[in-house]
Amino acid sequence: MARKFVCRRADVPANGMAEFDAGEGLKVLIASSGEEYFACQATCPHQDVSLAEGLYDGSVLTCHQHLWQWDIRSGSPIGLAEMPLDCFKVQVDSDSIYIDTPGALNVGELFFGIREGTLAQINALARREEYQQGGTLYEVGDPADDFYVLESGRVEFLIGRDERTRPAGFMLRKGEVFGWAALLESQPVRIAKATCFERSTLLRINGKRVLKVLEADPASGYLVMRRLSSLIARYLASSGAR
Amino acid sequence: MRIQLNARNRAYQFRATENQRILYAGLAAGINLPYECGSGTCGTCKARLVSGEVDDLWPQAPGRKYLRQPGEFLMCQGAARSDCSLEVANFVYYMDAGACLPSLGRGAVRNARMLTRDVIGFSVALEAPCDFDAGQFMVMQVRNVPGYRGYSMVNYERSARRLDFVVKKKPGGGVSEWLFNGNIENNPVELFGPLGTATFFPAMAKSILCIAGGSGIAGMMSILERACQEHYFDQYSGHVFFGVRSMKDAFYLAELSRFRIEFSRKLTVTIALSDEDMPGDAAQRYPALAFDKGLVHEVAARHMKGKYHNMRAYLAGPPPAVDAAIRMLLLEARLTTDNIRYDKFS
Repeated sequence: MARKFVCRRADVPANGMAEFDAGEGLKVLIASSGEEYFACQATCPHQDVSLAEGLYDGSVLTCHQHLWQWDIRSGSPIGLAEMPLDCFKVQVDSDSIYIDTPGALNVGELFFGIREGTLAQINALARREEYQQGGTLYEVGDPADDFYVLESGRVEFLIGRDERTRPAGFMLRKGEVFGWAALLESQPVRIAKATCFERSTLLRINGKRVLKVLEADPASGYLVMRRLSSLIARYLASSGAR
Repeated sequence: MRIQLNARNRAYQFRATENQRILYAGLAAGINLPYECGSGTCGTCKARLVSGEVDDLWPQAPGRKYLRQPGEFLMCQGAARSDCSLEVANFVYYMDAGACLPSLGRGAVRNARMLTRDVIGFSVALEAPCDFDAGQFMVMQVRNVPGYRGYSMVNYERSARRLDFVVKKKPGGGVSEWLFNGNIENNPVELFGPLGTATFFPAMAKSILCIAGGSGIAGMMSILERACQEHYFDQYSGHVFFGVRSMKDAFYLAELSRFRIEFSRKLTVTIALSDEDMPGDAAQRYPALAFDKGLVHEVAARHMKGKYHNMRAYLAGPPPAVDAAIRMLLLEARLTTDNIRYDKFS
């Protein structure tokens, strides 16, 4: 969790919104409901449209291009929207507005909502790794020791060997988990090849050590296993598994 | 050529012939690929080429400015040169059963005539009949002008042998220059469609609100035509707001009067004049129509206050006018987004 300065209070019109550069290429939309401030990603997840040009009525944010809508408090999609918005926790310190940028583990579906102490232990196991475009994370047949959580960038998967490969999807949302064979028993090797389609930052975590942590907190462990099984079910239903 | 398309939700396979635009091949196969203009401007149909070779039929297409990653291209301008595997970030579904499948058609221009100083009306006599839904558009290609342009149909009928269009003069626009300069009667045109989602179906059982600026009235005429054919306004109300600068720029007033007179109980038609006060004789010449001064979304907001119950709105016209109407309908009228329909194809 890192605190970032975004803007001064006076920079945001009352009952309006404005876009800011929070550094490191992070563009943030700050919306004011008069008393409260909200922060979310500044660009529509649909088509690179600036959300500051959209509409905001104090609770619902609308992209003016295709009328995708979100709840400004949670980023949950409403109506036509197909994807949620990344939202940030806002801190107001005298006349400055800051946001907390959460780690990928906190936003990812696998670990969302588990006990904080357990999450902190898993976070401590994570190694942050940066890969250039085209960098290979693992090949078919490599040992499946670690799983990955996408922090930024995009990872592509290929099934098959040599000339007879076919694409099996891609990961593009912060917090998405892959390589989860590392969390399963009797799945010692990779069944797909994973490469970075663009420059990517990943959290790399040892599966066995996470299982140990979860054994000590079965309530959280149960939640993670439930999510993991729906992840696997979704994978089996996708074209990648066929 | 075989095209494999990986969407966010699932994979699709379809065939494309040489020089056939991949977007058109997929749509013709009943796959609702992402698009808006279908003619190289909006960037909505961008896809990433995973394997295979694609020819770019229009390397200067304005929509290319939305391409970010290596391998991305516009499906409306891309023709497969080999079997291809593509990827789009959107959810993609098959079209609904009963949707009018788009296809390529040919025809000839008939009955071209100026409707105002800068608006032309014309028909295309089709070689083969065509089905479309009220509110849809076609992309059109004319001889010696590269690329397609989108135009909404004005008329409505099943198995149409004739499509009516109305086009506003756009200086520097290739197809527009062709339409306005010279004798186009009987000239051949090529069409692909129908396209677009701002469609009207009587079964939706809602009152309708049409807000159109200038030639955007085209799709509304088609919607009114269908609604009147079905006596829709015996049951549901309809409100039409047609924005033009002055009376000199207005057209279709006789046709709108005819709809209004036939269904006067539940249908209202208001002409919004942005640049002039209502001329004294307008009310006498068109007693069935109402006139008001202002931008069309402002006039609609004034007249519609408190009347938005069970309403679906259709919008068309210059993009700033459509944006202003969207703003009004969401923030003032509190319509839900699924009840605001428009196609940004111009």
